[in-house]
Amino acid sequence: MQVKNPILLLICCIFCFSINGCKKGKNEVAATKTTIKQDEFSLDSKVIPKYAKGFHIEHFDSFIRVKIHNPWAEGEIYAVYNLYTNDTVTLPQQGVNIKIPLASLVVNTFAYFEFLDQLSELDKITGTSDGFRIYNPKIRAGLQEERIVDLGNPFNMNIEKTLALNPQAILTSAYAQRDNYSERMIQAGVPVIYNLEWMENSPLARAEWIKMIAVFFDKEEMADSIFNKIEWRYLSKKEKTKDIQKRHTVMAGDNFQGTWYVPGGNSFNAALFRDAGLDYYYKNDERSGSIGLDIETVLTQFGNAEYWFGCAAKSYKELAEKDPKYLLFEAVKKKHVFNNNNRTTPSGGNDYFESAIAYPDLLLCDLIKAVYPHLLPHYTFTYIKELE
Amino acid sequence: MKHKTRLFALLMVILVIVFIADIFTGNAPISIKDGWNALFGTSGNAIIDEIVFNYRLPKAITAILAGAALSVAGLLMQTLFRNPLAGPDVLGVSAGAGLGVALLTTLGGSALYSAVSWLGSMAQVVAAIAGAIPVLLLILGVSSRIKDSVTILVLGMIFGYVANALITILQSFADPDSLKVFVMWTFGSLSAVTWNKMPLLAILVITGIIAVFFLQKPLNSLLLGEQYAASIGLNIKQTRRIIITITALITGTVTAFTGPIAFVGVVIPHFARALFGTVNHKTVIPATLILGSILMVTCDIVSQIPISNQTLPINAVTAVFGAPMIIWIVVKRKKL
Repeated sequence: MQVKNPILLLICCIFCFSINGCKKGKNEVAATKTTIKQDEFSLDSKVIPKYAKGFHIEHFDSFIRVKIHNPWAEGEIYAVYNLYTNDTVTLPQQGVNIKIPLASLVVNTFAYFEFLDQLSELDKITGTSDGFRIYNPKIRAGLQEERIVDLGNPFNMNIEKTLALNPQAILTSAYAQRDNYSERMIQAGVPVIYNLEWMENSPLARAEWIKMIAVFFDKEEMADSIFNKIEWRYLSKKEKTKDIQKRHTVMAGDNFQGTWYVPGGNSFNAALFRDAGLDYYYKNDERSGSIGLDIETVLTQFGNAEYWFGCAAKSYKELAEKDPKYLLFEAVKKKHVFNNNNRTTPSGGNDYFESAIAYPDLLLCDLIKAVYPHLLPHYTFTYIKELE
Repeated sequence: MKHKTRLFALLMVILVIVFIADIFTGNAPISIKDGWNALFGTSGNAIIDEIVFNYRLPKAITAILAGAALSVAGLLMQTLFRNPLAGPDVLGVSAGAGLGVALLTTLGGSALYSAVSWLGSMAQVVAAIAGAIPVLLLILGVSSRIKDSVTILVLGMIFGYVANALITILQSFADPDSLKVFVMWTFGSLSAVTWNKMPLLAILVITGIIAVFFLQKPLNSLLLGEQYAASIGLNIKQTRRIIITITALITGTVTAFTGPIAFVGVVIPHFARALFGTVNHKTVIPATLILGSILMVTCDIVSQIPISNQTLPINAVTAVFGAPMIIWIVVKRKKL
């Protein structure tokens, strides 16, 4: 009998507090993620991006509203930001209010360095993650001169150091669930600007996110002009491949611990292959992420592919040493294998993961040059490199 | 008796010292005066207030709760199974919690999205609890049918292996970003518990710990073997059920909030028994609670040592502390 009562008490407590806990969670969501109702502020104009599906911008009398769309639930909004320049304006209750132009920013996504550089706002970065993996020379110099603080692992950034920096906002990639770091920052009153450009499925759509970040620096027009040039350059290169009669076949990705991740047919890479005049096995596939395959499937589906992009090895020798099965691929036999290591630092920085987002035309040129060199006789590779 | 009281008093003093040290140390340079002001009012600087009061303080309290809870859960398992290497995770409950979180992180962007967005920041906690409960029910179901505790131990470990196997399968299908989110959870983090989550963690853990104090006599009887305990009138099946429920509750809750934290639960009960020179649970239970808290808070301080600008995963720190002790136990008891 002695031990019976505590158990009853226990079960009651679990029940009561579990319910309480769930309610709390719900309230938090309601406070941060809601579908915004029509409000009394009059809308002046709305900017719907030409390619990107993940955001749009609304101009009101006294403020600008940026809405980040939720890629995991159609029609839902992931985040709302009300950007103002004048402290006296009345702002809507929904959304995160941020005074612009931003004077300081922590950036937890390497892809935005180039956007910020092109907008001449790179000097506003006061903190970033994984300093040793950064390629951008200006950021590296900033880290060395201690103008920029390295906040550690991007998935587990140093909370205390970030708070001590007191940034005006934090720019980070959004995922389907909120992480501990973002939650902490929001609680501390530091706005978190979520970007979802990685969910876009074409190179131009990704590049168009420069318009999103530009609003936070009050540089919309400048971003429009930069993007228009990017678009023109990209489309003019794409034009070069339209008359190709025989499209060469291509394979992508690499083997990681027995699983070979290849791009889905609706992915950014598949779009790039299509625009470069290449024939990709999964071109009609609907998936936008990666597809995990075993080596047997890869050999069956891609054994005869003539070109291989995104290989992890540096040389054919390394490839053969890693696994002799690699030698069975037609692309390896023809020595048509490329990695993304043309611009790297000894400590692991790779510009492919940084500036390529802002230069989709160069990514396209790389592929065209590798497969149809006669179309770009004077071009030299930017991001990709043929295996030694 | 006097010696024991003195030892308890000393341990309490150490706990208070490490607790204060934990609050006053960290990556951000904050003076003791500012830290003190932030703790009991305001330092005049909102950033310092935020770091000390909303970051360091809940983290230190979580360390105390998690250390005490996991250690006492380990003690319960070691006594029930009469196995010195048993820990809170042997029932497979931690693995079940891990499976819940793995499901959430890998399917959170698709199949489970509406549930994830409804639960917000509580999603991981709820997923972990939802993963731990089926394992607990399985173990309870088995324990009511099986006489031998060792069989329950073996089955608990098998449930754990199955849950871990399912996690591996989910991981093999997951995209790299979801995978990273899950891997970070497995590193363990004391800072994930914010003030709004603290009441739930504290109440569940403290309730479990209070319940353990009512188990002193049955636990002492179990030390002499189940047959002897039964001969002096102990209802073995019922006691076993209660011990398993409390262990699962404590372990599941802590794992849900902080991620899986290894070693503390295995090592601390041995420490407590060795330090006080007794196996009597009247002494060992409070000793385990205090020592567990001291170790976890100390590990939190160690994890703040700046190495390449990031905090060390708490799971790694506890393991680095715990491993030498496990080796000591194994060497000391050659029969293992």
